[in-house]
Amino acid sequence: MTFYLTYVLVATALFAFTALFTLFAVYSERKISAFIQDRLGPMEVGKYGMLQAFADILKMLQKEFIIPKASDKILFILAPIVIFVSVYLGFAALPWAPGIIPSSLNLGLFYIFAILSIETLGILMAGWGSNNKYALLGSMRSVAQMISYEIPAGVALISAVMISQSLNLQEISIKQGLLSTDVIYFLGIWEIKSVGGFLAWNIFQAPHLILAYIIYFIASLAECNRAPFDIPEAESELVGGFHVEYSGLRFAFIFLAEYSMMFLVGIIGVVLFLGGWNTPLPNIGSAKLATWTNGIAWGIFWILSKTLLVVAVQIWIRWSLPRLRVDQLMSFCWKVLTPLAFFCMLLSGLWRLGVMQ
Amino acid sequence: MGQEQILFYFFGASVLISALCVVLMRNLVRSIFLFFVTLFCLAALYLFALADFIALSQVVIYAGGVLVLMLFAFMLSSRELLNSIKPAVSGFKVNHLAGILTSILFLFILFRVIIKTNFNQLMWIQKSIPITSNENTAHQIGIHIMTAYLLPFEILSIFLLMVLIGAAHLARKGGKE
Repeated sequence: MTFYLTYVLVATALFAFTALFTLFAVYSERKISAFIQDRLGPMEVGKYGMLQAFADILKMLQKEFIIPKASDKILFILAPIVIFVSVYLGFAALPWAPGIIPSSLNLGLFYIFAILSIETLGILMAGWGSNNKYALLGSMRSVAQMISYEIPAGVALISAVMISQSLNLQEISIKQGLLSTDVIYFLGIWEIKSVGGFLAWNIFQAPHLILAYIIYFIASLAECNRAPFDIPEAESELVGGFHVEYSGLRFAFIFLAEYSMMFLVGIIGVVLFLGGWNTPLPNIGSAKLATWTNGIAWGIFWILSKTLLVVAVQIWIRWSLPRLRVDQLMSFCWKVLTPLAFFCMLLSGLWRLGVMQ
Repeated sequence: MGQEQILFYFFGASVLISALCVVLMRNLVRSIFLFFVTLFCLAALYLFALADFIALSQVVIYAGGVLVLMLFAFMLSSRELLNSIKPAVSGFKVNHLAGILTSILFLFILFRVIIKTNFNQLMWIQKSIPITSNENTAHQIGIHIMTAYLLPFEILSIFLLMVLIGAAHLARKGGKE
């Protein structure tokens, strides 16, 4: 019976984490955008506006559920749940620290990739169910974009998987640090099994993965509908995209899904390319920095700080780049990112055969 | 009844009920969303056969790909058009007879085959190697594809490439000539 209790506890903890992260991310997004645009941002609620996100949530909770009269009611109500649950299920296979993973699947990465593809269905549901031209247009744009950008993202991930030889996210993390059982080479020449640190990360084990990570990062921005790829939500032309008709808690769930998705794609990139929960500090001679900063608490600290850094970069990009046009978006995906991603995959194969015997 | 059995019957029932609803429902878009339930529960049933890779591929390809394409086709048409599609005359008609007869016969054949077969005597079941639930199936699939089934795999990939080129050719705007 305690067995089931841990399942429930872990699931609740993950949900609480996504909610807390969203509150934190909304506040930091407002503050960072204010900094970039030379404003102050929220300042009224609490010291430096720190309670602004809580005030927002309180406002959301109080709002009325409005269901448009001509909408498809069942689909309209179900859509936010489908969107959020598909993203939330992805959290089940994420590694947090050595030995700490909710579900250590052999196909962890493939599972996350599969479960995230359900989100597109939820978005179509919202767009169709709302019976609103803007919502429908937004959802169609969103799905077209997500399906296209899944290809470069997936191929870039595969090129990292080819280096790690595993789809289990925990194993991929282990192979990028001191705990690895294989011999690790920095750039394929310098044996650094006992040095660890950032030298053992995938992007430094095989340098072409830096290019793969950049491809993955750009494609992941498109997959969470973030600027400069936010044409599905384009406030200035589509009012708000697929979620125009949603209000109150339902809108909050769509928002929650969007921010959890940012975290999820960030952490997948961190695990596959940036060493997961491994420390960035290498052992230098007698200063065993890597050995000292390894362990469960350190692991959680490192993976969280790396992922939050990636999320900060996502926010930074959103507020500094203008939105792409639809045709630019598609030609960028198919003519630049996809061929480059395939090239990375080819290089991974050659690297595996030639350098990492 | 163990928890696995309860889950199995739950998913089996969901597959059957949602599949029936897909066929019987008048609202086409809703029935496609219900089709997702069918496909997803089918993926869960694959898990009971320890085919986790197939289950996830089912979710990616059918739920994430094929269904979305079907929905796209619907959303490009107007809502009034969808509502106007209704059977001309309801009730029993003579041309239903052939369909009913065929399906009953097919059901009969299926039942007979399942009842007549002695599953323990089959060669491919006797020869098969049992796998455990924590085995790395993706690893084994990879090895088998690259050794025993290399030729079919390569033929399939060439076939898919042909389809891709054909689709790209069809989707091109009219020639410049």
